[in-house]
Amino acid sequence: MASRVIRRSSIRRRLLLFLIPSFLLLAVGAAAVTYYVALRVATFAYDRSLLDPALDMAANVRMDADGPRLAMLQQAQEALLYDHEDTLVFQIRAPGGAVVAGDEDLNLPPNLAPGERSFFDSRYHGEPVRVAAVRSSSGLYVQVAETLHKRNRLIWEILAAGLLPALLIALATLALAWTGVARGIAPLAWIRTQLLGRTPHDLRPLDEHATPVEIAPAIEALNRLLAQLRESNEMQQRFLANAAHQLRTPLAGLQMHLELLLRRDLSPEVREEIAGMHVATVRAGHLANQLLALAKAEASMDDSGGLATVDLHGVADHAVQEWVQRAIARDIDLGFVLEHATVPGNAVLLGELLDNLLDNALRYTPPGGSVTVRCGSELGYPYLSVEDNGPGIPESAHGRVFERFYRIQGTPGDGAGLGLAIVKEVALRHRGVLRIESPNGNDQGRGTRIVIRFPAAAPEIT
Amino acid sequence: MRILVVEDDSLLAQGLTRVLARAGHAVDRAETGVQADRALRAASYDLVVLDIGLPDIDGFEVLRRLRLRHAAVNVLVLTARDAIEDRVHGLDLGADDYLTKPFSVTEFEARVRALLRRVSLPASAVSVGRLTVDVEAKRISINGTLIELTVREWALLELFMARPGRVLSKEQIAQQLADCDSQLTTNAVEVYVSRLRAKIEMAGVRIRTVRGFGYLWETTDG
Repeated sequence: MASRVIRRSSIRRRLLLFLIPSFLLLAVGAAAVTYYVALRVATFAYDRSLLDPALDMAANVRMDADGPRLAMLQQAQEALLYDHEDTLVFQIRAPGGAVVAGDEDLNLPPNLAPGERSFFDSRYHGEPVRVAAVRSSSGLYVQVAETLHKRNRLIWEILAAGLLPALLIALATLALAWTGVARGIAPLAWIRTQLLGRTPHDLRPLDEHATPVEIAPAIEALNRLLAQLRESNEMQQRFLANAAHQLRTPLAGLQMHLELLLRRDLSPEVREEIAGMHVATVRAGHLANQLLALAKAEASMDDSGGLATVDLHGVADHAVQEWVQRAIARDIDLGFVLEHATVPGNAVLLGELLDNLLDNALRYTPPGGSVTVRCGSELGYPYLSVEDNGPGIPESAHGRVFERFYRIQGTPGDGAGLGLAIVKEVALRHRGVLRIESPNGNDQGRGTRIVIRFPAAAPEIT
Repeated sequence: MRILVVEDDSLLAQGLTRVLARAGHAVDRAETGVQADRALRAASYDLVVLDIGLPDIDGFEVLRRLRLRHAAVNVLVLTARDAIEDRVHGLDLGADDYLTKPFSVTEFEARVRALLRRVSLPASAVSVGRLTVDVEAKRISINGTLIELTVREWALLELFMARPGRVLSKEQIAQQLADCDSQLTTNAVEVYVSRLRAKIEMAGVRIRTVRGFGYLWETTDG
């Protein structure tokens, strides 16, 4: 078992292998979109507030004899450019490009028409900045630059606010998928118990309506297979039944003529030979009957009359007429200890069961012995038993006597070894438990008691 | 007695015919259901030996048609051992007895005798072994010696004689012997049986006890 490790596919693993990459892809897409939106929001909001100092500065530029000059107090400038998070710098250039006031390190602004304004990204002392530029009507360029700290912070806040819940939902979904698979495949467990609880002969279809629509196709296919099995089983049983049935009429004719012949005046030698033929013919007829009974027992119950409430006492009553005569013929004391006990089942098959138990008991019990049929209830369990004080079945053969065509070595008689196989088959059909015991009150362990105990309640029988 | 044998297997039919003819009966044969039906319409028989599996219409149909005509003929159905349903079906339709294939000649003869005895039971005196039963006078005698029977003992005797070779359960006997004013216990049945047994023992008629079940009327006449 250890040498060959087959990695079996798992619905869970397949589901997760599909879900995780999908979620990752979705998360990347969502992040990109959120980032883009956040960037736009931040840019739009902060650009406006960046434009105000630029416009203020432009409005406070005076033209002097030696050129333009910012007419603004140092404190006013500082107040205008104050920000608790970012650094703001400004620059005023003459139309020719010469820096008139402010920080000289800011890059040249783009070309603007007088009165036009613009926002752009740039760098200041190696740090990325956002710049608002205006060109006054007099042609002066005023630029205010701002570092990106609060913009970046806003972007991250928006991103986090958008992506964290999504991430949590994704994780929750994965967890739910993990447990959901277990819930989803619960109907499979139902099917499993349905199939495990069956006898090998129970080939009835599974109930398609009791399963979810997703599993229904699989159930349907399974049911189709069961139907085919059933059909082929039935064909086989019909064939066996037909064959056995057809055999009996010629055997009956043969037996009759042999018996008529035996009534004639025959020489001892001829008589002995014909008697041998007669024994063989009777045996063949018995075998044909047993084969037929076995085929019947194997056929599904609903074919052979269905379920009824069968009184075991009644089954025994039916057997009395036939078996008392045979017991008398073999000088065996056949007795009965019968109480009423009902089992759900098939009277024909239960009759076969008792017939075969009796046939077996009478066959192997020596003349002068006794055979007793018992039925009734023990602790609420209906039972049927046949016991004899014959040679008994050796312990070593207990496991095998119910096999078809098994005969204990060295036993006399002309049985074919089918009787107890029929008993087993019928007991199985009725969910009965078959046991070989020592007869009651027999301390020597001599004799055989075969007992079938049936289920206490009225269970479903197949 | 006139008997119709309905059997499509010629070997078996031949054997049945020979057995019946040897017992002194007039035997007709039919090989199909239609032939049987025609024969039963044309003539009156005391007994029909009827196989169920026939090539055209089956034995049940023949039986059904027969009973539809209210014919009172005795019918012995030859059927399969597997089919208690067959038996029930047959008895429902009015078969009088059934025999499962294959069967022994002795068994067949016994069943036929029992069925034909039904036809002839109203005779005034019946002989069983050394026992002579005067049905009308309700008296029995053994070798000419008259033996007195009580009402219950006589009823018991009648019960046994109506079902020779059949095992009767104690409950069955109690039911049959009970009248409107009295219930019979199985213990009482045991008492009546042992009394009757003592009275007829000498005639070679034996009432065998089937342990835990009932009794079997055994006669030496086979």
